Amino acid sequence: MSRKALITGITGQDGSYLAELLLGKGYEVYGLVRRAATPSTERINHILDRLTLITGEMTDQTSLIDAVEKSQADEVYNLAAQSFVGDSWTVPVSTGDVDGLGVTRILEAVRRVKPEARFYQAATSEMYGKVHEVPQTESTPFHPRSPYGVAKVYGFFITQNYRESYGMYAANGILFNHESPRRGLEFVTRKITDRVARIKLGHADNLHLGNLESQRDWGFAGDYVEGMWRILQAAGPDDYVLATGETHSVREFCEVAFSHVGLDYQDHVVVDPQFVRPAEVELLLGSPAKAKEKLGWVPEVSFRELVEMMVDADVERLSR
Amino acid sequence: MTKRALITGVAGQDGTYLTQLLLGKGYEVYGVTGPYPGGFAETVAHNAGRVFWLDADLTDMKSLLAAVDASRPDEVYNFAAQSSVGSSWTEAIATTEVNAVGVLRMLEALRQLRPDARFFQASSAEMFGNSAEMPQRETTPLHPRSPYAASKTYAFHIVGSYRESYGMHASSGIMFNHESPLRGLHFVTRKITDGAVRCKLDLASELRLGNLDAKRDWGFAGDYVEAIWLMLQQEQPDDYVVASGQAHTVREFCDAAFSYLGLDYTEFVKVDPAFFRPVDVNIFYGDATKARRVLGWEPNVGFEELVEMMVDADMERLSPQA
Repeated sequence: MSRKALITGITGQDGSYLAELLLGKGYEVYGLVRRAATPSTERINHILDRLTLITGEMTDQTSLIDAVEKSQADEVYNLAAQSFVGDSWTVPVSTGDVDGLGVTRILEAVRRVKPEARFYQAATSEMYGKVHEVPQTESTPFHPRSPYGVAKVYGFFITQNYRESYGMYAANGILFNHESPRRGLEFVTRKITDRVARIKLGHADNLHLGNLESQRDWGFAGDYVEGMWRILQAAGPDDYVLATGETHSVREFCEVAFSHVGLDYQDHVVVDPQFVRPAEVELLLGSPAKAKEKLGWVPEVSFRELVEMMVDADVERLSR
Repeated sequence: MTKRALITGVAGQDGTYLTQLLLGKGYEVYGVTGPYPGGFAETVAHNAGRVFWLDADLTDMKSLLAAVDASRPDEVYNFAAQSSVGSSWTEAIATTEVNAVGVLRMLEALRQLRPDARFFQASSAEMFGNSAEMPQRETTPLHPRSPYAASKTYAFHIVGSYRESYGMHASSGIMFNHESPLRGLHFVTRKITDGAVRCKLDLASELRLGNLDAKRDWGFAGDYVEAIWLMLQQEQPDDYVVASGQAHTVREFCDAAFSYLGLDYTEFVKVDPAFFRPVDVNIFYGDATKARRVLGWEPNVGFEELVEMMVDADMERLSPQA
């Protein structure tokens, strides 16, 4: 019998890569999607006929119970979130409701309907915020610095709590930044590659960015969903950092992206204080040692390959 | 000029002690009773006429904006919470709505209407869970082990985030257990003193409890609200552990309460697994060095004195009227 997976946030970057991965492994894949006048399925249109979409919301307990009931999922991947750190200052309460409380709701749904299902929670390096040590590991204390980070810390702990209290197979993946051509345009990496393509094609001149010295540990989303899947295949539930183990600055990202199309970033990048966050996190650098040792997970796409893949995709998209 | 304070959870134990403290200092006190004031009818009646009552609910943003607007507070003390750790497993969602997102709503209400107000959040030592460090201080990593503790951890972090991001004067008191004759009857300390008195007066023949070896750091609520007030008098907002620094077991608490009444607890106390938590935190005691040093805070009531005060109060309440 084929295994069944339920993915919340299936229309997002990670959801779409994970759906592809699971379909490739022969899973029956169910996706939770929000009811909307205009469904945003562009990232999954190419596999839509092989997916079963269920309407529901992380803020609506009943819809989550129904989704677990309908899918009878063996594995539940909770990727749904208000995922943009910057917006979490503008919409802090709904960020808390979806990214924090939403995790409890889906855990409750699993506990009631299918307590033996394996549950994956998309935790994040933003939980480390004002970092207590470099690199960050599974045992580094959290110090979140945004409503997004605060909500995700809650989601992490409540996941641990359901594991400890009810013996559920509930695991956290603490994912450092992971990018791809499907990254939303509001994220700095995609903002850069999109703009680089536009500048290259003569549609734009400048790129406005916040702090160029911000350092991030950037990997390829396709590699990271493989890590998520492996987390749920382990003998027991546990928490894992998924990261590349190297950091690069926004400046370096710009350098690689612009030079890939034969441009000099210094001619185009403008620093704009409006994009600097109220409180900026410090050096986020993850140690993937545990995931490597316990899950045999190693990211395959390098920083340069990632940037170039994203630039190429944006150039192709915008040249059409 | 008279200072104005807004207190949520004003009718609870801490709210009641803080109200007394602030009224004594000449504050105008605005109290939010929330949607379920019934259980606190006594304390509400006690403060009637001395407190301006406001009807608001931490799950309702609009009501918080109205409460802040009506009170124009200089200081806000957030005590409102679903405060039972045990119930938080059965009411995980509601607990989080109030204890976590509710705090964020209150901070947002202040940021929009009264950003200069000073804010106190009642954080909890439960956030430390089974932390490896002992005693626990402000820098001890958090490892919450109940939905209650996870919700309080969210609140603690969001307070820090608003302080750092917006420069608000927002502080958390990481409160270790603090008890008094006003403690709710579902808390183990009050359950013991109430039960011991009932055994003494032949109103009961036994007292059923959960894990007798659970250790806690218990102080007197009246002392702890003094620390809370001091936090908001500092120039800079910060987080402080408020604790006695001594751990005692539930068994010791029973022993102290029953022997004060001339009884042997082992003859009355029965261990009932129904009261065990899905996971329990085992030893718990706090290091309040920072509060002592920076705030000059000093607790006055010791463990024995606290137990006896609570027994006396329950004895007075339950004794047949002469």
